[in-house]
Amino acid sequence: MTITTNSLFKLDYGSKIEREIAKLIAAFEDIKFDTGRYSQRWLAIKLLEADADILTRVQDMQNGEQVIALAKQGAEHVQSMLGDDIDLLTADRRYGYINGIVRQSLHRPLVDRLTLTDRIDDIVTHKWLGLPFFFAVMYVVFRLVIDVSSPFLDWTDAVINGPIANLFRFLLDLTSAPAWTRSLIIDGVVAGVGGVLVFVPGLLILYFFLALLEDSGYMSRAAFVMDRFMRVVGLHGKSFIPMILGFGCAVPAIYATRTIASRRDRVLTALLVPLMSCSARLPVYVVFGLAFFGARAGTVIWAMYALGIVVAMLAGMVFTKTILKPDATSAFVLELPPYRQPALKSVLIHMWENTSEFVRKAGTTILYASLVMWLLLNLPWGVTEQRDSYFGKVSGAIAPVFAPLGFGNWETGGALVTGFMAKEIVVSTMSQIYLGGEEAQVVESTTLGEDLIGIGQGFVEATVSSGKILLSIIPGVNLADEESTSEDTALSLALRDRFTPLSATAFLVFVLLYVPCVATLGAIKHEFGTSWAVTSAVYQTGVAWIVALIVYQGGFLLGLG
Amino acid sequence: MGWDDVMLTQLVKLLEDKENGLSLSEISREMKAQPSAILSMIDLLVKKGRILEIGPDNKCCATCGIQSECNLLAARRKRYVVVV
Repeated sequence: MTITTNSLFKLDYGSKIEREIAKLIAAFEDIKFDTGRYSQRWLAIKLLEADADILTRVQDMQNGEQVIALAKQGAEHVQSMLGDDIDLLTADRRYGYINGIVRQSLHRPLVDRLTLTDRIDDIVTHKWLGLPFFFAVMYVVFRLVIDVSSPFLDWTDAVINGPIANLFRFLLDLTSAPAWTRSLIIDGVVAGVGGVLVFVPGLLILYFFLALLEDSGYMSRAAFVMDRFMRVVGLHGKSFIPMILGFGCAVPAIYATRTIASRRDRVLTALLVPLMSCSARLPVYVVFGLAFFGARAGTVIWAMYALGIVVAMLAGMVFTKTILKPDATSAFVLELPPYRQPALKSVLIHMWENTSEFVRKAGTTILYASLVMWLLLNLPWGVTEQRDSYFGKVSGAIAPVFAPLGFGNWETGGALVTGFMAKEIVVSTMSQIYLGGEEAQVVESTTLGEDLIGIGQGFVEATVSSGKILLSIIPGVNLADEESTSEDTALSLALRDRFTPLSATAFLVFVLLYVPCVATLGAIKHEFGTSWAVTSAVYQTGVAWIVALIVYQGGFLLGLG
Repeated sequence: MGWDDVMLTQLVKLLEDKENGLSLSEISREMKAQPSAILSMIDLLVKKGRILEIGPDNKCCATCGIQSECNLLAARRKRYVVVV
């Protein structure tokens, strides 16, 4: 590209400044000052503006001192006449000239999005309104997740325990499989893996809303709002970003702490991240929420998420005052992008990536855990009562630890131990224990065609029910009739015999807070070493036990038991 | 508006009338120019000591209250007032 200059062009700086420029150029000639590679006019302007770089260069030139003195006189003369620094006056003229050219040559509307962003931010990042708004958003999201997904959860439950289980039974009959193989497939794999896969619709909807919040730009505002509270625990808003990621899965959230400069801040953030309720805990909340709290399930689940944040704040304060005293706070620069309409493609990708990871885990970790669980529930070989199995005996031995918390039975103790592998396994273990022995049930015989029609009809009904529930969110619209409310899953029914609403709440609190899953501990060990991984496991389990005890015993004293 | 508009003077005059100052986006709207163009003018005027950067409520930032160390202020709602 060739750059051409129009030698005839001369920006007019106004008569008074132009006169000083002309005087200085004349002086260059008079005192035989060679401007070298600089044009006389450009150098005169720069000298009048007292440009530091040019002054240094000119000082070294012949007669440079004299020229600088003359320029200084000229600049002072202009200032006395115009009442302002000459560099501001010349800049003013240049900006004005540029502005004129832009106006004449470019027509574009001002971006109103900035205005809208400012207006929204005035509310959502407000000193006092910001935090309630954040919690209100989370509340609405979790109500929507539960209410809208519940018809689909029922549908998935019916499909897995109906047509899919029937298909396995048919194949097992076809191959004349022995009784133990039937038990392994139906009681182990279908009950265990199927018990977790039931929650895929709920996760899809959760990730849909999280993607909406992220892509719209609200998540950065949430970090901004939380910055104030993070400072209470000696951290800043940057630490809240891994915590928000922790709502999805704690493992990437732990690795996301790498963006924090200070090691102390990274360690503290990693210790607090597992207290954010990850999506693996959602199946546990949903099962218990629907079984014990009905229409208030969404509120209970929201309360779990809020409790996780509150406990994280308190734990942070304790760490800050004890083993992780604050060092110099590093800078936190947060970009608040303008609000945008989320792109459907991006939202769908987000939903797919996260949910497929959950399904993949169901096909690997949860499948293996279900097989091991089935084996432990059936050893020593020929055991008739699950309580007498190896698993039952070990679980029975640790169950008394949970007795003060209201769930001191061996089934729950065992489910919590297996939940260490992955939190979803709490549900799959309970499914295996409570729904095992399903072979004894009378299974209605259906044809493949009937099953497929049933699946299709069920899906349409679930879609219609969810649509009605979604529309009922609009004030004044109530399309969700009583019939469309969620049906109980088989597991929910079984749990009602073993828990009360109070002990169920204490159990949910314990699941929320107790030892992070093995993958999360692995990530903490990888990033910070074994001692911090052990610290995380021990302190979280201790905190979980204490808080669950307070919930159960406190509730009991208040007559809620 | 012609090519010889005096933008800096216009900007200072605009701020003189606003007791609580204006944010970049507000200045940009008032002057009908893109924020990126306004920002370099603001930088020059701040450097020359003609205008001052302040927090959103004239005193402090909405979060920590420590204006001198406030990094968030750089990201949002910085306002500008004329130095009297």
